[in-house]
Amino acid sequence: MGSAVTHAPATEVPTTDPEPRHGPVKSPRPAALKRRGRRENLAGYLFMSPWIAGFLLLTAGPMVASLYFAFTDYNLFDAPRWIGLDNFSEMFSDPRWRHSVQVTLWYVVVGTPIKLAAALGVALLLAQKRRGQAFYRAAFYAPSLIGASVSVAIVWKAIFSDDAVVDRTQKLFGVDVGGWTGDPDLIIYSLVALTVWQFGAPMVIFLAGLKQVPRELYEAADVDGAGRFRQFWSITLPMISPVLFFNVLLETIHSFQIFSSAYIVGGGAGGNACGPADGSMVYTCYLYVQGFENSRMGLASAMAWMLLVAVALVTAVLFWSQKRWVHYEEGGR
Amino acid sequence: MQQGRDAEGRTGRRTILKAAGASLAVAGLGATATACGGGSGSGDGTVTIRYSWWGAEDRAERINKTIALFEKKYPKIKVKTDFQQYTDFWKKFNTQASGGNPPDVFQNAIGFLRKYDAKNVLLDLGEQVKAGNLSMGGFRAGLEKFGEVDGKLLGVPVGSNSLALVIDKPVYTKAGVTPEQGWTWDDFDAAMVRIRDRAGRAGDSGMYGVMYLYDLYLRQNGKAFFTEDGLGFTEADLTEWWTKAEKGVKTGLYADAKKVVQVKPKSALSAELAGSEFTWDNFTVRYTSEGKSEYGLAPIPTTDGKKTGQYLGSLMLSASKRTQHPKEVAQFIDFMVHDPEVAKIMGYDRGVPATEAQYQAYQPTDPVNQAIAAYEESLVEAGVLETITPHPNGADICEAAFLRIAEEMALGKRSVSEAVEQFFTESKTALAG
Repeated sequence: MGSAVTHAPATEVPTTDPEPRHGPVKSPRPAALKRRGRRENLAGYLFMSPWIAGFLLLTAGPMVASLYFAFTDYNLFDAPRWIGLDNFSEMFSDPRWRHSVQVTLWYVVVGTPIKLAAALGVALLLAQKRRGQAFYRAAFYAPSLIGASVSVAIVWKAIFSDDAVVDRTQKLFGVDVGGWTGDPDLIIYSLVALTVWQFGAPMVIFLAGLKQVPRELYEAADVDGAGRFRQFWSITLPMISPVLFFNVLLETIHSFQIFSSAYIVGGGAGGNACGPADGSMVYTCYLYVQGFENSRMGLASAMAWMLLVAVALVTAVLFWSQKRWVHYEEGGR
Repeated sequence: MQQGRDAEGRTGRRTILKAAGASLAVAGLGATATACGGGSGSGDGTVTIRYSWWGAEDRAERINKTIALFEKKYPKIKVKTDFQQYTDFWKKFNTQASGGNPPDVFQNAIGFLRKYDAKNVLLDLGEQVKAGNLSMGGFRAGLEKFGEVDGKLLGVPVGSNSLALVIDKPVYTKAGVTPEQGWTWDDFDAAMVRIRDRAGRAGDSGMYGVMYLYDLYLRQNGKAFFTEDGLGFTEADLTEWWTKAEKGVKTGLYADAKKVVQVKPKSALSAELAGSEFTWDNFTVRYTSEGKSEYGLAPIPTTDGKKTGQYLGSLMLSASKRTQHPKEVAQFIDFMVHDPEVAKIMGYDRGVPATEAQYQAYQPTDPVNQAIAAYEESLVEAGVLETITPHPNGADICEAAFLRIAEEMALGKRSVSEAVEQFFTESKTALAG
């Protein structure tokens, strides 16, 4: 046993160790032990060092830098110049910024519930025992796998353009709008459609949640003569509410961060990057324009921190609201 | 017993520490090795320079051929290339330049000279001319002065082009319109009506957003879009320009902006949404490969029947101030602008070649390129060409805002007065920065 421990001290099982490392130890030789502890820590930190370095260099460092830049005028070339809160006051008085906030909020408020409803609806269908169910699950999940890619956004743009599939179909029904992607008021709907189409991830989570609901509850409800809708409302929904909460939280945060699909459907390389007349100018899109097209990194940093604060607030509100509608098995927390 | 185990345990850990240390060292070596490989100098005196440009695949193919020629002639210089679409090019360039890692040599245009000179990015090639590595002789029509700003040579023209009205020939024929040098804006307006009524198509694709055309219109009236440090026109001027535009869009004289947006990156002209489009004359090459119709060139309408306000525009090659190889970069630029073989490969892709030697070397045989040559010839003969002042720092942002806000106006999202106000607000910010 001794030699095995020597080569792999990390796998030592505490119970077989005459001197357990966890918990209070009354040690006869504290100095030696301290040394040993330090060495162990050192090894630990050494193994963690790639991650720590990555975190400090790639996450924490840039965040601190961006927090500093948020209070400066910084064009990437000249040294940042401290201007206090000017970026924030400029932001609030900029009509394009306010417009981007409106577009984003609209997208989140309309898109997220529809996406979750679609995910839950399909999950309910797929939760039943049927032949070929595995195939359907895979088929419905597939869009989420490929959905984040640039190519799908390009295809989407082609589908919703003037005289393309959607436009022609509409014309069959006598509706002629001349394509969605060129219309400042309609383009955002095509983005909502794109996010709804990618309901696979929340669907899988819903599916897992639905599988957890005890069958007896439905059997009891059947005995009591409750209908399908009543069962869904009084059993399914409360039982999956933790899962629902998780999905609402995740999808809301996700929606706030929409960028690539809006950037590509809205124009990408040609002309205005944010859609016709800024019709699909979501928050991150405007942030990108300010940062990379107008070289105003200070302002862009301030915008990024504003977004972080907004998402944190929304998250806090959701957490606060959960005690009103989320039911945990042990009677809530 | 306990002691022995402790000792053993320690050795074990020491081994691990050593192993970890060794792997870190290996990683370190790896990093060093990579750093060496990425460097541009090597033992045998070969240097590598990075060259980037904007354009489509077609241009990339031609450029790669010219580079192969260059590397054959200068075996000690290797050229690494990179290209993007226009807007993406500048985003990438901006990021690279601010990080102190711009390409050694790159395609450039008039709107960016002052901007990047102010940011200390551009090499003054005048030194290399003095050193004999770059010749500024033999340029056509005074083009050698084109890249000079405040006495510094910041760019060397590779080709010249001029704004023109690119027309869909069959559409113009059907409408019975034949534009001639010296036609006026009233003639142009009448032509738009005839094209709409007789050919059933909008006459123009949206010229109200083309900054370079508006510049010509202003020049015809004794003003200009840019002065050396600001805007050279008033809110009243722009209100007049955009009021006419709004009316044109509403009455179908100009193409439906909603449709124009959706065919991008294709042009409204090649997508058959409009009968003509104001743009650079060398774009005819692109439109011919993009669209099905036959395209030709018509002159810029005038105010007084004489003055068009035109100047030769140009793509240039500029060098980075941080380049380690100014001499090789200068040799590269020299080769690209003077070598006759290069002209045969490039054709009029970047405009009509800037030097006499290259101009003579390439005689177009296809009608499109012949038309471009004839058009530029006619400009020289008509004596309409003027000189241009390099745009002020921030001009590129003004241009983008001008295009965007004009589009918003055409889409009906802004009234003319709102659009004018917004443009002046945004450009003041851009030009102050």
